[in-house]
Amino acid sequence: MVGQAAVVEASGLVKSFGRTRALDGLDLSVAEGEVHGFLGPNGAGKSTTLRVLLGLIRPTAGGVRVLGRDPWTEPVAVHRDIAYVPGDVNLWPNLTGGEVVDLLTGLRGGADAGLRERLLAEFELDPARKVRTYSKGNRQKVALVAAFARRARLYLLDEPSAGLDPLMDAVFRAQIRRVRDEGSTVLISSHILSEVEQLCSAVTIIRAGRAVESGSLEALRHLRRTHFRVTFTDPGAAVLPAGVHDARRENGTVEFDADASQLPGVLAQLARPDVASVEAAPPSLESLFLRHYGGGDR
Amino acid sequence: MASVLRLLRAQARRDRWQLLAWIAGIGLLGLAIAGATASQFGSEAGRAAIVAVAAGSPAFLFLRGVPDGYDAGAFVFFNGFSFTAVLTGLMSTFLVVRHSRADEESGRAELVGAAPVPRSAPLAATLLLGLLANLLLAAAVALGYLAGGLPAGGSGLAGLAVGSVGLFFVGAAALVAQLMPSGHAANGTAAALVGLAYLVRGTGDAFGTPDATLSRVEPAWPSWFSPIGWGQLTRPFTEADPVPLLVLVGVAVLLAAVVLPVRGRRDLGASLLAERAGRPAAGFGGRSLLGLAWRLQRSTLAGWAVAAAVLGLLSGALGPVLADAVAGNPSLAELIARLAGGSAPAIADVFIAALLGITGVLAAAAGVQAVLRLRAEEEAGRLELLLALPRSRPRWFGAGLSVAAFSVLAVTLAAGLAAGTASLFADAPAAGPLTGTAAGGPDSADRFWLLVASALAHLPAALVMVALAALAFAALPRLAVALGWGPLVLALVLGQFGGLLNLPEWAQDLSPFHHSSAMPVEDFAAAPALTMLAAVVVLALAATFMLRHRDLGA
Repeated sequence: MVGQAAVVEASGLVKSFGRTRALDGLDLSVAEGEVHGFLGPNGAGKSTTLRVLLGLIRPTAGGVRVLGRDPWTEPVAVHRDIAYVPGDVNLWPNLTGGEVVDLLTGLRGGADAGLRERLLAEFELDPARKVRTYSKGNRQKVALVAAFARRARLYLLDEPSAGLDPLMDAVFRAQIRRVRDEGSTVLISSHILSEVEQLCSAVTIIRAGRAVESGSLEALRHLRRTHFRVTFTDPGAAVLPAGVHDARRENGTVEFDADASQLPGVLAQLARPDVASVEAAPPSLESLFLRHYGGGDR
Repeated sequence: MASVLRLLRAQARRDRWQLLAWIAGIGLLGLAIAGATASQFGSEAGRAAIVAVAAGSPAFLFLRGVPDGYDAGAFVFFNGFSFTAVLTGLMSTFLVVRHSRADEESGRAELVGAAPVPRSAPLAATLLLGLLANLLLAAAVALGYLAGGLPAGGSGLAGLAVGSVGLFFVGAAALVAQLMPSGHAANGTAAALVGLAYLVRGTGDAFGTPDATLSRVEPAWPSWFSPIGWGQLTRPFTEADPVPLLVLVGVAVLLAAVVLPVRGRRDLGASLLAERAGRPAAGFGGRSLLGLAWRLQRSTLAGWAVAAAVLGLLSGALGPVLADAVAGNPSLAELIARLAGGSAPAIADVFIAALLGITGVLAAAAGVQAVLRLRAEEEAGRLELLLALPRSRPRWFGAGLSVAAFSVLAVTLAAGLAAGTASLFADAPAAGPLTGTAAGGPDSADRFWLLVASALAHLPAALVMVALAALAFAALPRLAVALGWGPLVLALVLGQFGGLLNLPEWAQDLSPFHHSSAMPVEDFAAAPALTMLAAVVVLALAATFMLRHRDLGA
């Protein structure tokens, strides 16, 4: 994404709440037009980061620019082009869903009427019901409809699909693709790997308030090892290619992981007549994730 | 039963500080009134004078209850019981709703209900918690009276009278919680029942018949329909009779016996009154911060305004009645002239000024509540949703403060208009040095506007309280609720009991209401009013500045 303007640019963000350090030198860069996954387990600092990006809280240290401006000093100008869905959607219990959508879009300049109706229908939301009577999933849908019913340059979504059933999740993903195709930028925080893998072109992984991995999904995959499972026709002939990791041998089958740089050598060594089958699994985001959190191979 | 006790422990732990504050506060109020009576009205003659005034005045009877002779204990009971009973009723209803309907709405009840406990176990635990809280409260009130130098037997029974009223409302709130769809609606309805009990008792007491010596009053029949009226019938310090308390406790037990099976049989979250559907799209003002602030405040504001209007009506209507009663009783008139000091103001005006002073506190309460709603919005995470939109914090804060200020204005205006209207229909006050307005008093239209102005005279002081709450919210959000309501309660106590408690002048000066002009007795003084309004502007600006520069969050 080199050469494209960064819509979100944060460097060395620190945020302390008393003695806890919620953010500890976080770097985050989101380029224009990309759908960026912001991955981390609960308590890693994802929501805190989004609040800093919105100028709701002021970073203890570090710099942040959103849409080219400082969100703490110019929140209103920044928010004009932002749609936000909080992680924990709390709405006014005595307002109806339709009233909440109109309030939230109205303050941004008004909903696209056709879009509003279409979204309400697609999310199967009854706008005449009081928020008090909505389930958690329905409240989430109200917030999503409010976010998508008016175009924005940047969508900040904090675990947006939590509480959605698979059908509604599909509706949600279709909306992400729509706004991406319109050229908008999306930052989705999540701890659901499959979601990020399906939706995002770039990923930042954070742990304990610090970005531990960042880049395009493709680039990140290159950092990871491909998992091989090779079966030999003659158990006695089973050999391990040199320099691979986590090798296991069982009867005539060997399993191992290979770095991207090792792939040519490994493949050359496997080009033998007694190889019965080769399975190679692409590096998953999960393995990327577990590498940072699971305390596995480092 | 084991599960009920376990739930009881959990509920008691959740409430421990809150209930402790209620119980200690109500107990201390009892001690303060008893102590003040001992020091200020130590002689029977002094008490007799006040009792005679009260017995001849429907408004006093309405506000305080019926006097029961000159005995020191009876005097304290007469002065404090109604007020104490209302506080106890509120403590009990909030307690019950918090653990029943509000928990059902929030989903906590579901979590507990999924555990292997009977469906009605949480409610049974709540009823037991209500029983325990009211027993503790009875003990606290009794101890307060005892420490104030009253006899043990009467103090104990007086405490039980307060506790029995509380128990009645525990049962009533448990029933309301089964009927209402939300915690908010249940709390409102149950608290309204407490208010209704006070009003019904007040009406019955106001129409009561005083005896020949003006030492005691037999309440009229409406008081028999109020649990607070029943509690009062106990007469703990004179002809002590515990039977009315048994009736109250009996009703509470009956309500529990009805409510527990109802909860055991109904669906979780089901209610007799269902939540209605609303409009599918925003109406007028539904797309602005000001409209939202108004929407969130309007129903509670209506409650405050109605309460203030009732007090205003009373003051306007009963003031002249009181004046006539005094005029028809020369010895009483002489007494009041002595009590009031050299320049005897018109009795009706003294009474009106006192009631309108209370409406000023009500107005401040409406405004403080509007400000504290801002904190609730922040705590619930809804503020985050709003401030992620292209609207600045000062703009959101400004909308909230505007609605708060408007609430204050609306409540004082409601009181003033009601008082003025009532005065139009009341008999023209008889002329004279002690009665009605000053000799050759103004005509009725002037009188109307005078009373409206008298209510509005409390506007600056009420706004100061609201601005203080705003500053607390901006500077110390976690303490906002305590810093918002605390000074208001203090101001109410200083205003209502400050003279009675014989507090030093500087302590009474702490309350902004002490700087309001007590119209129509005093003339309007512009200087303190303008000073207070200036303070309001400074406080509001400081609050806006501090809010702009602090983190938002829960």
